Amino acid sequence: MIYLDNSATTRTLPEAAAAVQYYMTEGFFNPAAAYSPAVESERAVNGARARLAAAMHVTADEILYTSGGTESNNMAILGTLGAMRGKGRIIVSAVEHPSVYEVMRAKGKEYEVLEAPVDREGALDLHALEGRLNANTQLVSCMQVNNETGAVNDIAALSKLLKKAAPQALLHVDGVQGFLKVPFEGRNCDLYSISGHKFHGPKGVGALYVKKGTRFLGGQIGGGQEKNLRSGTTNTPGIMGMDVALQYYLSNLDAMRGNMRECKMRLAKNLLSLQDVFINGPAPEAGAPHILNASFLGVRGEVLLHALEEKHIYVSTGSACSAHKKGKNRILNAMGVVGDRQEGAIRFSFSAFNMPEEMDETAEVIAGILALLRRFKRR
Amino acid sequence: MEHIILVRYGEIHLKGLNRPFFERKLIEGIHNALSGFGAKVRREQGRIYVLGVSDDRVEEACDNLTRVFGVHSVSPAAAVEKDWNVIVETAARMVEAETQGDKMTFKVFSRRADKRFPMTSEDINHELGHELLVRFPNLSVDVRTPELKVCVEIRDKAFLYVREIMGAGGMPTGTAGRAALLISGGIDSPVAGYLMAKRGLELSAVHFYSYPYTSERARDKVIDLARLVSRYAGPIRLHLVPFTDIQLAIYEQCPPKETTILMRRLMMRIAEMIAEKDGALALITGEALGQVASQTLESLCVTDDAVHMPVFRPLIGFDKEDIVAIAKRINTFETSILPYEDCCTVFVPQHPVTKPEVKKLRESEALVDFSEMIEKAIAATELIEVS
Repeated sequence: MIYLDNSATTRTLPEAAAAVQYYMTEGFFNPAAAYSPAVESERAVNGARARLAAAMHVTADEILYTSGGTESNNMAILGTLGAMRGKGRIIVSAVEHPSVYEVMRAKGKEYEVLEAPVDREGALDLHALEGRLNANTQLVSCMQVNNETGAVNDIAALSKLLKKAAPQALLHVDGVQGFLKVPFEGRNCDLYSISGHKFHGPKGVGALYVKKGTRFLGGQIGGGQEKNLRSGTTNTPGIMGMDVALQYYLSNLDAMRGNMRECKMRLAKNLLSLQDVFINGPAPEAGAPHILNASFLGVRGEVLLHALEEKHIYVSTGSACSAHKKGKNRILNAMGVVGDRQEGAIRFSFSAFNMPEEMDETAEVIAGILALLRRFKRR
Repeated sequence: MEHIILVRYGEIHLKGLNRPFFERKLIEGIHNALSGFGAKVRREQGRIYVLGVSDDRVEEACDNLTRVFGVHSVSPAAAVEKDWNVIVETAARMVEAETQGDKMTFKVFSRRADKRFPMTSEDINHELGHELLVRFPNLSVDVRTPELKVCVEIRDKAFLYVREIMGAGGMPTGTAGRAALLISGGIDSPVAGYLMAKRGLELSAVHFYSYPYTSERARDKVIDLARLVSRYAGPIRLHLVPFTDIQLAIYEQCPPKETTILMRRLMMRIAEMIAEKDGALALITGEALGQVASQTLESLCVTDDAVHMPVFRPLIGFDKEDIVAIAKRINTFETSILPYEDCCTVFVPQHPVTKPEVKKLRESEALVDFSEMIEKAIAATELIEVS
C-alpha cells in the first residue's frame, strides 16, 4: 500500500495508540473526580496541555481541548461572534474548509459576510483583503495551509495588516493542515484550530487556542470543563494520544518536514515528466511540504483515483469531506483552475512515513494508467 | 384485555382451489415480517389474527405487516370477553385515545359471527352508539362518512378496533415464480423490482459495474437498494457483474452513436444467462417509454431482440414524478439519489441513436466477438444474498 492521502487523515502512531489504550483501560478515571487516581489523570492532561501550548508558543490556559478540527473552527467563529457587541463585517477567505466557510455563510443574514479572494496559487490576496477591511470589521478567518493545494498563507503579514487597517478585528487561523507542517507563532492570531489525527494522533480530539483577553462565549454547555467554555467529560485517551504524537513530531521535526518535502519534490518531478500534467497551487518548493495537487488532462480525477486504488495507491480528488459531493470544486474555482484541469485534478498528501522511492512507483503506475485511460476519453 | 392484530387480505379471495397455497405463502410472509416479535399467527374465516405481540411493539408490528404483499389492511385490536359492560368500557377507552377531546363524527360497525351472543348487530350498533354519545359530548353520529369507525366483531371473543391501516396489497411473495431485475443505482429499477415483487414474484437482481469508472461506494449503494427492496420482496439474490472490458470493447470497436444501446443489449443478454441459472423465467427493467434515448420504442425493440425471455417493464407508462413518488414511499429514493456514477452514465455518447434498427444493431454487435468476454464476466460475477 502507498498511502498518499495524509491530509484526509494519518495513520495513528503506535505509541499514540498505546497511550490511548492505557488511558482507556488503566488511567480511565474522570479527571474531574476527587480521588487520587483521578487527580493523576488530571495531572497527565495538564502536562499535555502545557506541552501543546509550548508547541504553539502560547500559555496552557489559552488551550481548549475539543473533538477535532470542525468543532474548533465552529467554536472559534460562533464563540467570538456570540460575545460581540453589534453586527459588523466578517471576512472569510474563498478557499476555507466547509467547517469555516459554511458557518460564515450561515451567518450571512445577521452579519455582512465578505469573501476574500485568493491568487492563482491559492494563497490569500492580501492586497484585495486590505480593500475589504474597515473600522466595522469584527472577524477575519483564514487557513494557514490550504488543504487541497498546500498554499501557505503568511500569517505574520496578515496579522500586521490587520493591526494597521482594522485593529479591532479578531483573526482566526485554521491550522488543521498547517500545524507542525509549517512554522507558527501563536501571538500572530487570536484563535487557532488544530486536529490530532492530521499529525498521527487519534481521531476525535483537537484543540482551539483562544488568546487571553479575547471576548469568547465558548461552545458546549454542561459540567463546566475546559474553563466552562467547552463542557463534556475530558477525553483523556484522545488528549494523551495526541500528546504522544505531538512529542514525536516535535522531537523529529526537521527530519519529518524534510522527508515530506523530499517526497513531494520527487513526485512532482516525476509527474511533470509525463505528458499534459500540471501542478495546481504554488510551485512544489514553495508550498507546504506535504501537499501536492496535480491535474492530468484527458482523464477524470475520480477515475484515476479508482484506477490507482486497484494498485493499492490511495489519493484524493479533493478534500475527503467533499469527495461525496458532485459538482465543481470551490477551491480550484477560486484559484481559476477550471474545465479539464479541474476535472483531472488529484491531491497527493504525504506523511513523514512515506518513502521517497514510493514516489517513483506511484509515478510509474500513473504513467501506465494515463496511457490506458486517455485511450478511452469521453467523446 | 389482549392486544391482537387483525390482518385482512384482498385478491386471494378470488382464487379457487389454489387458495390454500396463496394463504400459506401469505402467512409465510407475515411470519418473516414478524420474526423476533414472538407472534402467533392464526387463520380463520378469511381473516388472519396475529396474537402475542407485546403492547409496546404493536405499532412496529403493524408497520411491518403493511409491507407484506397480499395484506390488504391491518387493524390493531383489543380482544375482550363477550360481556356488554366490558365491550362498552373498552370501546370508550379506544374512542378517548383516538379523539382526545376533539370534535368528531362516528359510526359503530358491528358484526356478530357468534350467533349465541344475545344482541343482534343492529342492537349493538344502536346501544353502543348511544353509550358513546352519552359519554363523549364531542362525538356526533354520521352514518354516511364518519371520521371515526368504531368496529366490534363478536367471535370467540369480542374484537374492538378503531383504526384500519392500509397494507401493500398485491399477491404474497413467492406465488408467481422468479424473475431477474436489472438494477442500476438509479431511481427507477428498485421501483420496478418492488412493483413486480408485489405481484408475487421472487427476485434475483443483476447489477453491472465498471471499475475504475465507478467506485466501490456505487456498488455498496446497489446492495443497500436491494436490501431496501427486500424489506418488501423478501430475500434477493444479487449478482454483481464486472462490465468494464465489454464497455471498453464496445467503445473502441463499435459506432459511437450506438454504444449505449449495444451496452443495453449485452446487459440483457448477460442478465438472461444469469436468470436462467437462478431459475427465473423473466427479466424486469425500470424502463419508461421515451425517458431517455435507450428507452424509445425502437430502442426497446432492439433490446428485446437480444433476449428470448419476456421482459417486464412495469414502469413503461409512468411519468418520472410518479416513479419518484413510489420511490419515496418505499424509501429507496434517498439512497438512489446519492451521487455515485453508475456504469450506464460513464460512456454516454454526445448524440446517441434514438431510432435504432434491429438489423443494423445486429450488424454492429457482430463487429466484435463478445462471447468470451461475456463468459469471463459471468465467471467473475459475485453473488450476494440480500435480505
